[in-house]
Amino acid sequence: MTSEQAALIEAILFVSKDPLEPGRIMEFLQISDETEFEKILQTLEKEHFLDRPERGLQLKRSGGGFQLVTKPELHDSLKDFFTVKQATKLTLASLETLSIVAYRQPATLAEISDMRGVNATGPVKNLLQKKLIRISGRKKVPGLPALYATTQEFLVYFGLNDLSQLPSLEELTELFEEKEQPSLFK
Amino acid sequence: MIETPVYQVQTDFFEGPLDLLLHLIRKNKLNINDIRLAVITSEYLSYLENKQGINPSRESDFLTTAATLIYIKSRSVLPKPESLAEESPEKQLLYTLIEYEKIQKISKMLQDMEYTERLLWRRLELNENFANREYTLKEVSAFQLAEIFFAIVRKKENEQFLYVSSKSYSIAAKQAEIAGLIKENGFIDFSAYMKKLDSIEEILVSFFTLLEMIKRHLLIALQESLFGTISLYANEAGELSN
Repeated sequence: MTSEQAALIEAILFVSKDPLEPGRIMEFLQISDETEFEKILQTLEKEHFLDRPERGLQLKRSGGGFQLVTKPELHDSLKDFFTVKQATKLTLASLETLSIVAYRQPATLAEISDMRGVNATGPVKNLLQKKLIRISGRKKVPGLPALYATTQEFLVYFGLNDLSQLPSLEELTELFEEKEQPSLFK
Repeated sequence: MIETPVYQVQTDFFEGPLDLLLHLIRKNKLNINDIRLAVITSEYLSYLENKQGINPSRESDFLTTAATLIYIKSRSVLPKPESLAEESPEKQLLYTLIEYEKIQKISKMLQDMEYTERLLWRRLELNENFANREYTLKEVSAFQLAEIFFAIVRKKENEQFLYVSSKSYSIAAKQAEIAGLIKENGFIDFSAYMKKLDSIEEILVSFFTLLEMIKRHLLIALQESLFGTISLYANEAGELSN
């Protein structure tokens, strides 16, 4: 990778607000080999950001692209500087609703409420406002209820590159069972 | 030493009946697959009883589950026919519970991910957090306008009028008035404007005038955010002064 390329990629990322698709940069830099581009990215990531403690930024892959974000250890100082109040986190009800949409999408309001055992109108409205979910269509059943699916903002919000990065239900169960079951041979 | 009664603050708040059931199962250290839901019933009911002032519309989900539990319990004390159908309420509730437990696990995972991501700042966030952010304006449909309109009419209907107004309104006059207002202020806040009007008659005439003007592309209705206020602007393509 030439230093001009590195500088250009950094500049493009600095200006971009949303995660940038790798395809666009590859086209612009006239790189057609994906593994080659990946190598460039990794070098950039390591030598430009991670191995440089004097730099406050890092390269982050999420939402199907990559972008510049601050390093996690700077969070508290940034909060002080910008006098930002404690950022609002999602409520448990919203998280539950989002879990269902993420794993069962597209899902209707009735399906979501049914799985939670409690009405989900409030959380769904809240998540729509936050743009973490969207109406992806209508279910072809009486009443044509709206179907909800997750958005690209959802991926970015949770630092996912795409939906396949979410562990499958089986993996999840194993993950938690290992944690919960104390060793038999103590 | 005298034991003083400890004042217990009710801190348990459960999001729905499944949440409460899972809590009870965990509290009794039961395995979800082997439990007899009938055993949990009395504890579940005592939770509902201890809850001061049940709000039926909010807690109906809890009550439904209570009824199911009582049904399961009554079935468990009755002699059972041999070939019990697959769809026993007990099995159904257990299945829902197991599914719900998965959801709780996923929620926990998402919460952890949210926490890690919160530590990273993006350029986007500053725009979100500071006052001078630019909204992406979305054009609204006549349906949304109508929704707000009916809400206002309902409010007006409840108000008491002290006198009977004999004033009559015309669409032409209204259109001139609205055009004037927009020229003066640049835009009209739909809700605020409708609220200021005197009578249902005037509201009706104004609403139809607005619809007509939008239809003729004289005005454009824009909404800043989902469920946000609707503002009316002059449509550059149309000619406002006619």
